[in-house]
Formats: sequence, C-alpha cells, structure tokens
Amino acid sequence: MANFRRFRPDDLNKLSKCNLDPLTETYELGFYLQYHAKWPSLFQVAEDQHGNIIGYIMGKLESSPDVYQFSEHYLPWHAHITAVTVAPEARRLGIGKLLSEQLEAAADENDAWFVDLFVRSTNHRAIAFYKSMGYSVFRVVKDYYGDHSSDPTQSSEDAFDMRKPTKRDVKREHIRDDGEKYEVDPTDVW
Amino acid sequence: MSYSRYEPPALKNSVDVQLQTAFNDGNWNTAVRLAEKRFKALKDPYYEVIKISAESQLDGTAEKCAVLVAIDKLVKGKTVPDFDTLSLYEWASDGLLHHSDYAQTLGTLRARWVKANPKNPNAVQCLQSCLEYWDLVNAQQIAATMDRAFPNSSDRKYMFWSITLTFLLSISPQCVEATRKLYSQLALKQLERAADITESSPKVEPTDRGLLTEQEFDLYYRVLLTHGTKDEFLRRMQSPRLGALAQLKEGRKNLFWETLGVLEGWGEWDRIFELCREALNLGIQGSTPTFFACDWQVWKKFAVAASKAKNDEAALSEVQGVLDKFVSIKDKATEMYKKNISLTLLETTFRLPTSTLSPNPDHKGSTPRVTQLILFLVNYFDKLSAFDDVKDYVAQLTFEEAKFFMENALPKMLGEEPERVKQVILKALQCKLQYLLTTCPQTLSNHPSVVDGVDQDKPYRCRFCSELASLPCEHCLKKIIVEASETYMEISADSELVGLIPRLDKDPRLDLALVMVNSLLKLGGLRQRGSDVAPSPLRDVDSSLFLQAVLLLDTQLKATPADMGLRLLLVQLYLLLGCVSYAHQIWAPMDVKRTIQDALGPLFFDRISSISPGLFLGGKPLMEPLRHHYSHSLHDACPLRIWDAFSSGSYSSILEMSDYDSKLRRSCTLMMTLVEERQATKCFGGKTELEIDDLPLAENIVDETTLVNKTDYGSFTNLESCHGPPIQDFVRLGPELSNERAHLGFLTEQYLDLLSFKAPKDYKPARPNEVALKERSYLTERLAHLNNSLTNFIHQAETPSRLTGAELTYYTIVSLLSGGLLTGLTTTRTDAVPQTLPLLTAAIRSAFAGLRTVFLTSSNGVSTPPTANIFASLTDMHTMALLRATALAIKHSAAFMLSVHEKELARDRSGKTALHKDILVEMKALDQLAGKALGEIKTHVQKLKTALGEGGWLDRVLEWTFGDEGGEDEVAKAVGEVVGGRGGAEEWAGKLLESWREGVKGWGTVRLE
Repeated sequence: MANFRRFRPDDLNKLSKCNLDPLTETYELGFYLQYHAKWPSLFQVAEDQHGNIIGYIMGKLESSPDVYQFSEHYLPWHAHITAVTVAPEARRLGIGKLLSEQLEAAADENDAWFVDLFVRSTNHRAIAFYKSMGYSVFRVVKDYYGDHSSDPTQSSEDAFDMRKPTKRDVKREHIRDDGEKYEVDPTDVW
Repeated sequence: MSYSRYEPPALKNSVDVQLQTAFNDGNWNTAVRLAEKRFKALKDPYYEVIKISAESQLDGTAEKCAVLVAIDKLVKGKTVPDFDTLSLYEWASDGLLHHSDYAQTLGTLRARWVKANPKNPNAVQCLQSCLEYWDLVNAQQIAATMDRAFPNSSDRKYMFWSITLTFLLSISPQCVEATRKLYSQLALKQLERAADITESSPKVEPTDRGLLTEQEFDLYYRVLLTHGTKDEFLRRMQSPRLGALAQLKEGRKNLFWETLGVLEGWGEWDRIFELCREALNLGIQGSTPTFFACDWQVWKKFAVAASKAKNDEAALSEVQGVLDKFVSIKDKATEMYKKNISLTLLETTFRLPTSTLSPNPDHKGSTPRVTQLILFLVNYFDKLSAFDDVKDYVAQLTFEEAKFFMENALPKMLGEEPERVKQVILKALQCKLQYLLTTCPQTLSNHPSVVDGVDQDKPYRCRFCSELASLPCEHCLKKIIVEASETYMEISADSELVGLIPRLDKDPRLDLALVMVNSLLKLGGLRQRGSDVAPSPLRDVDSSLFLQAVLLLDTQLKATPADMGLRLLLVQLYLLLGCVSYAHQIWAPMDVKRTIQDALGPLFFDRISSISPGLFLGGKPLMEPLRHHYSHSLHDACPLRIWDAFSSGSYSSILEMSDYDSKLRRSCTLMMTLVEERQATKCFGGKTELEIDDLPLAENIVDETTLVNKTDYGSFTNLESCHGPPIQDFVRLGPELSNERAHLGFLTEQYLDLLSFKAPKDYKPARPNEVALKERSYLTERLAHLNNSLTNFIHQAETPSRLTGAELTYYTIVSLLSGGLLTGLTTTRTDAVPQTLPLLTAAIRSAFAGLRTVFLTSSNGVSTPPTANIFASLTDMHTMALLRATALAIKHSAAFMLSVHEKELARDRSGKTALHKDILVEMKALDQLAGKALGEIKTHVQKLKTALGEGGWLDRVLEWTFGDEGGEDEVAKAVGEVVGGRGGAEEWAGKLLESWREGVKGWGTVRLE
C-alpha cells in the first residue's frame, strides 16, 4: 500500500527501505535539499502505511548555459530525472512508473520541452522500463561512466541519454528515432 | 552572492593594478602597505577599508581584530556604509565574528544600507548575507523594505520573501517576545489579504498581490494554521478558489494531503469523510486524473471517518459505493492502485460494526472479515509485503475467526494452490501468521493462579493448543519452530523448487528462518528491557535458545546476504552477545553513510564504547563519517541550501528545511556521536581537544533543548502484533536514544571535563590570590549548575525507563558527586559539615555497591576451565564498563577535591580556606572503594582473557548452543537440521570465539586509573 506525495526533509529519516539497497546511492544532505529547495514539485516520494519511504524520484528543470545556444548539443528548457528508486519490497507494483508520470506532469506544468535521463547502456531492464513509458534513446554518451557495471575488465561504460517529449513538443522536434547511432563525448554533455 | 564567504570579494575597478594584484594573490603585508599609502595620498576611505581587511589576514591579534573595531564604529556611527565596505568587512571578519553577533553588527549595517538603497540590485545580496548567518531580524527588515520598494512587481518573490521571513521570525527564538505577536499578525494579515484578492478576482496576474502558485498557497495555509483560527481555516477550505478540492482540480495535491492530517488532528472526522468522498469522486468525474487521490491514506481515512459517523452503516455503505465505482474500472489502474483498492475492501469490512457480521452457525469464525482476508491473500500472498499488509487485520480477529482462518481457510487455500513454489510461499506466510497470533492476547484465556491448592506458574491457557501458557504460548512457539524447519528442509531438498527461487520476490526460507529466530528468542525469554528488569540483557535468557537463534540467522545470511532486515537483526543479536567486531563486519556492507547516518547510525553505534571500546583502536576513526556528516551539514548557521529555496520561491520548502535543520542540530544521534567518541578516547588515555560544550556542534545545546531521536527502524522485519512492543525493543541493549539520556551523557561529560581541566604549564597569573578566588567562585558556580541540571534530569519521571540499570546508577552517582563536590568546595574547615553530606555519600556507597554486586554476580562465574557461567560475563560488558566509568568518576572527583584542598593550603598557609577534613575523609573512603572495584575489573578482564585462551572452546560453544551431543530436544533438532548440525556450526562458533577474544583484548588495553 502506498501514498504519493511531495518529498519533505523529514523523509530523510525514513529512507532505509530504499537506501540500504545496494543499487541505491546515498548522497550528502545538501544534494537532497538542493532538489527540495529548487524543484520541490519534481521530488516526489511513495510511502508505506508506516511512513517509510518505499520509492522516490528526484528531478530538476534546466537548460544548457546560454553560451552554448548555438551548439548542436545545446539542451533547451527540459526536466531531467536525476534519481529514481523503489524499495525491493515495493517493486512490480508500478511505483516507478507512477513517480515518473508525476515528474512528467510537473515538467508539463513548467513548460519543459522534454524529460531526459541517463542510464547505463547495459542496464537492459531499466532501458526496457523507460521505453515502455515512452522514452527513446536520443544519443549515446561514450564512456560516460568511469566504471563498468558488469565487466570488471573494462574501465568505462557508455550511457544512453533517453528522452520523452512533453506536451510542448507538439512536433516531436526533440526526439530521434535512431538515437542509438548518435554518439557524443562526455564533454558535450552539460 | 557574487563572492564566496571564504574568498575575498573583488576590489573596485578604480583600485590600481598593483594593489589589486597584491590583494588577489594574498600578499597581505604588501596589500596593507599599498592600501595605507593610497589612503594617505587619495584620502579615499575605501583604501582604509582595504587596509583593515588585509590586516585581518595577518597573524597579529591586534591587526586581526581591527576589522571588528571598524565594524563597531560603523554600527555606532549611524551613517550608511558603502556596499563594498560591507562586502570586504564581512569577508574579513569571517571566523572572528561569532554568527550570533552578526545581527547586532553586519546584519544591522546590511539592513541600514538596504533602507537607504531599496531599489538597488545589491539589496538581494544583503538579504542573502543575513540569511547565511540566519539573522532573521535584519533579513525580515530587508525583505520588507524591498517589498515596499517593488509593491506590484512581476517578481512576486519580494512580497513572499517578506511574508516568509516575517513568519519565520515570529516563530524563532530570535524574536523578542514584545514583537512576536506583531510579526505573527503581520504575516497572517498580509496573506489573508492575498487570499481575499485571489478569492475575489476572476484571474490573478503575476503583478497582483494575490495567491498564485502552489507554494504561495502552501505558505498561506501553514501560516494560517500557526497563527490563525480553526474557523478561518475551515472557512477557507470551503472556498471554490482556495479550498483543498479546488487546488486538487488544479493538479495540486499537497494542500489536500496536509489538510487531511490537520483535520485528523482536530478529530474532524465528518469533514474528513466529506473531503475524501469529494476528492475520490473528482477522479470518477474526470476533474482530476482518475486515480489521482487514490492513495492508501485517503481510502483509509475515508473508511475510518465512515466508521466514526453517527450513522456508520450508511456512511460505510457510501464508502462501498465509491469503492465499487473504482472496482469497476480498476483494470485501468496500475498495480499499486489496484492493491490500494483491494486493501480498502479489507479495511471497510473490518470497519463494519461487529453486529452486522453474520457468522456461519456451523463455523463461528467464518465471517466476512475472514473471507475478505482470504480474497486479498489470493491475489497478493506471493508479494513481499503480503504479511505487512494483513498483519494488523489478522491481529484484530476474534479467537474464533483466527482459528477458522488458520485451521480452515488458509489450509483450504493452500490445498487449492496448484503451483508447488507458491505452496511453499503460502506455507511460509502461514508460519508468520501463526507466530503473529502468539503475540495476540485473544488467543489466550486466563487460568486460575491456584488449582487444587497448588500454585500455577503459568497464568494462561492457550486457546489454540489448550496447553498452559505464558504470553506467548511456549507450546505453540515450539510447534512453529518445528513446522518452519520442516518446510525449510522440504524446500532445500527439492532442487526444482530451489531453482525457481531466484524468480520469486523473496526466498521463502528467509521468512521461515526469521519466524524460527523470533520464536527462539521469545522462547528463550528475551524481552524488552529498561532499568527495572535484569541488568544484563541475556542474564535471564536461555543462552542455548538465544545462540540457536543467532546461529540460524547467521546461516541464513550466507544464503540471502542482500536482505537488510535479516542483517540488521543479526547485528543487534551480536551486539547483545558482546561480539562487536563480528557485528561490525555484518554492519559494514550495509554502507550506512552520509545523510542516512543520523537515522541509522544508532543501530550500531549506540552504547558501543560500553561494550567494546577496543573497536575504536585501529586505523580510521570509527565514528569519523558520522562526525563529518554533522560538521559538514551544520557548518553554517543557516539551514543547508536555504538560499536555493528563497531564490526559487519554494516557501514551504523554506519552512520545512528550517524545521529539519533545527531538529538535526538537536539530534540525539549527534550527541551520541560526541559522547561515544569521547568515552572511547578516554578509555585509552587519549586527550580530547576541546571541552564538550565548546564543540561547535554542541554550542547551542542547553538543558531546555529537546534532543530528538529519529532512529529509523523501518527495515526491521517485525512479526510482532500491535498488542506488544516491536522487535527492535526486544533486541536492543537497552532503551533507545532519548532526550533524557542524551542530556545526561552531555552533562556528565561536562562534569568530567571540569574535573580534568588543567591550566597550561606556562600560565602564571600576575595576582595568584585574586585568580584563585575567582577560580573557586567559577568552580562553585559551574558545579552548582551541573548538579542542578543532572539532578533535574535524573529525577524526571521518565528517566529510569530511558536508561539501562547500570546507566541509571552511573548518572545518579555522577549527579551525587557533583553535589558532594559543591558541598566540599563551599565548606571550609571552620564550617560545620552540612547534614546532607553523610546522606549523600551514603547514597553513593549504596548505589555503587549495587552496581558492583551486579558486576560480581556475573564475574564470579569466570573460572578455569571455563564453565557456562562465563557466558553471562561475556554478554555483560556494559555493566563492567559503567562500573569502571562510575569508579573513575568517583576517583577523579576525590582527586579533584584533594587537589583544590592542597592548592588552598599552599596559597593560604593559615588553612582557613582549605577544605573540611571530614569531607576529605569521606572522599578518600569513596576513592578506596572505587579503587577496589577497578582492581576487581582488572582481575576480571585478566581472568576472561585466560579463560578464552583455554582449549576446547569450539566444543564448549556448540554444547552451549545444542546441549549435550545426542541429547538435543525437538527445538534444537529442528534448528540443527537447518544449520547442518554441529558440524555446520563449527565455523560460526569459531567466529564467535574470535570476536569475544578481540573484545576482551581491547578491554585489556583500557586504562583503569
């Protein structure tokens, strides 16, 4: 059973179900508070009947710095999913999907062109999940991660920059059908 | 801000390159010289400001402090300072000016500057500066000035900054009482006016002073709830523009969510009923996304409100009506909402008056409640959270229902389940539910205390098995263990089944192991502890059953290492066993770091120095990550990232972050970190750099501060019903962190700091007599304060239940010692000895003797070759640690008193100011008593070391665990099956032994004088 609501700082004392899971990173306090301070509607949680946090999504709204406006890599005003996690006991209930939808609604409300996120190119489950939600690969960021999740002999791993257009992008100008063919360097990502 | 607080601000462009370069490169002597030269030549006071700022970076105290003098002069001068001067002085005084002085100095100057330049863009920077020092007084003034300067600006932030800061000030200790009401009303009235504008305008434009954004609405309602009336809140809730439903239609859920909580607090259940019904209907009508309000809390509150209605049957039928609408479309919903709907069906059934339940005359327990439970489980029994979802409902069943549920309904469901793998999941769930019911009082009936003239040792008869029982029923617990073990072995023996487990949410054997462990712990007599029960957690516990539980869990950890509930429980059990180094090995992979340490740190670190101080020896300081978290997060006076919230217009975030920051500064975990580290440091003769109340992290903690415990137990697997305490209360060494214990720890450290203070060797005061008198006066005052505070906390009604028995004795004695010292210092040899003194020393003797007896009871069991009695000692290091701490507190108090006496004798040869000889005699006697106890501790540690060095330990531990070989009872046999018998337990026994040895080795290096 779950409730969906906006994050509150007190939730940080109830994160154990999510953050003791080895796949979920724990950040410094300032990181969480920055998102709560700047983009409160894009930081949503799911809680169980005891108030334990069993899932959360953190997102932000941004665009590339103006100085890059004429660069081919310039990103217009958009929402970015920084982190999304669901506690092991709450998986397979669609909580991740519901959280993502809430963030997308907030992106629409804030007039964003699209929602994007980065995912390891070998994380097939996550990629399939996002594709089922309407996300597609926009570009491949070569050697974006400084380690490899499944092959210890490799020192890096590519990221897929995945996007889903929002209501504003009526003409679907900010997505590509063949994004997996577009490779960029990490230096092209701001 | 345009510059970091820690980097110098840019100088004005008019300053020449040479001075600019010197200043930017940090060539402070050159910068001072050049600035002085320019000032003389140009008579521009800005150069003097540069000179003073550069001087602040030099080593000399006079140069450093010149900036403070300059700031003071500006404040008193009443002129409006130059903006660049303020920037330079703020940077220069960083580290010199205490943040609490900011409001009276730079804050005042910042506000003065903004009043003179209200439209200047730099006003925002002044506001930010004040906020960084959390100077709400001047920040409010600045924000109000800016709001007045831009009354209808399209940048709405000025207005709402002003209101937010006025509100923050009204609830802050920075606000003087005389103006608190004024600020409260000011914030409220401004927002009410804004609310009225919104209510009466067809459309609010950004330049209007009405409420527009969700954050503005949230701010209004927070202020209204704090400073307004309930009637006004309820009136606004009805508003078609401002009410929670109106906001919900706009896609804004937060107000609706918060309103439900507020109404619940007020007991306004009729209103909750209305609100939930309307909100859910909005989804059906299409005014919001269909399932927008379908949170579990909404359904639950809806059903609870209906059950509290005057006509509860009609209200519940209305709930059913709304529910039916959602049931008819639930195929469109995600799994989460489907589950919420299913649970609501369950909740509604359990809310029906029992009179409406029509039990089957053939099966009294076959009620709609049981039927609904089974219907829910049919869909969800294989989900990880199935047990948690139904446990509260199962615990509400009458005995007849529970019996029918467990003996008819569930077995029928099991019989109808075709898939083998699901059958075992269901069996595991059945075991958990069986255990749950042993914790429910309705499964027991009272049994007469005397039968046929014979006293009965068990007060109940179990209604399931008809055996005489305590709570819980031992017979049922044994049966659960045996049945769980059989199912466990059944799974392990079926390779096809084992192969299917990775596809499941959870290995059912993990659940079975946890049920067995909980049953073993209960059967062994483990119970919640405070100071009113046995001093040692395991003293009255059957060690064999306890060890079986630990072994079983340890074995399961190897099979399911990723389960954090299991890991957390095992850590607690090893801490109880005194195997701290091994507990740490199990704790470390959980990677508790950064933000979550405040909530999870106590699960390992609380009382750690009293069990195994040796753990602090070694490379990386054990609690450094915790300390770093607090130092980093609380470095500035303001809440972390607060300016981000201001600049983003996130007003409710500002209030929440401010509240969170306040609680983090008052965290019990923070105090635990400081106290544990100091206690461990002192164990090994280390010196603490600062006195505890001088530490920046503790600087605002006073007796009136309520310290907050935020320990997160959410990841514990709790099989207990709501009729008793949760699992964490059983497996902790003592009561959890609390305000009382944190304060007592803090005050005791202050007392010990006072005793150990030594003036630097080169400190030679010019007037030694005068200084000595002042020192004595200071000591008296400080001791009076500490004695008063310690006594207050010790005598609070709740305090004994917040401490272990040993802690209660320790803090009581420290409190008495501080009183004794105070009496000693204020009684000279010519005075009569106060009558309270003998009473006080007698109380110390008596309490100390009690603690020593507890210690000796377990320590006397240590012999060579070791017997089972040594177990009591190995698992009760806490009492020994507290006895040591108490003995040392006594010795240090005695030494302190003697040292004062000798100093006085040396200073005043007449002896008039020396201490009273009777008091000294008393203290010397206490000192001897403490010395004797320390000697006993030393001998005890040595004996433990010798005993642990003896041979035959593996066999011994296995014998403690399983009893004599071949003589295992049914429970030990059931456990043995799962863990692979004695052979399978040998490696574990070795680890246990190794950890005990490490712990005792650490104790061997602890200083006892």
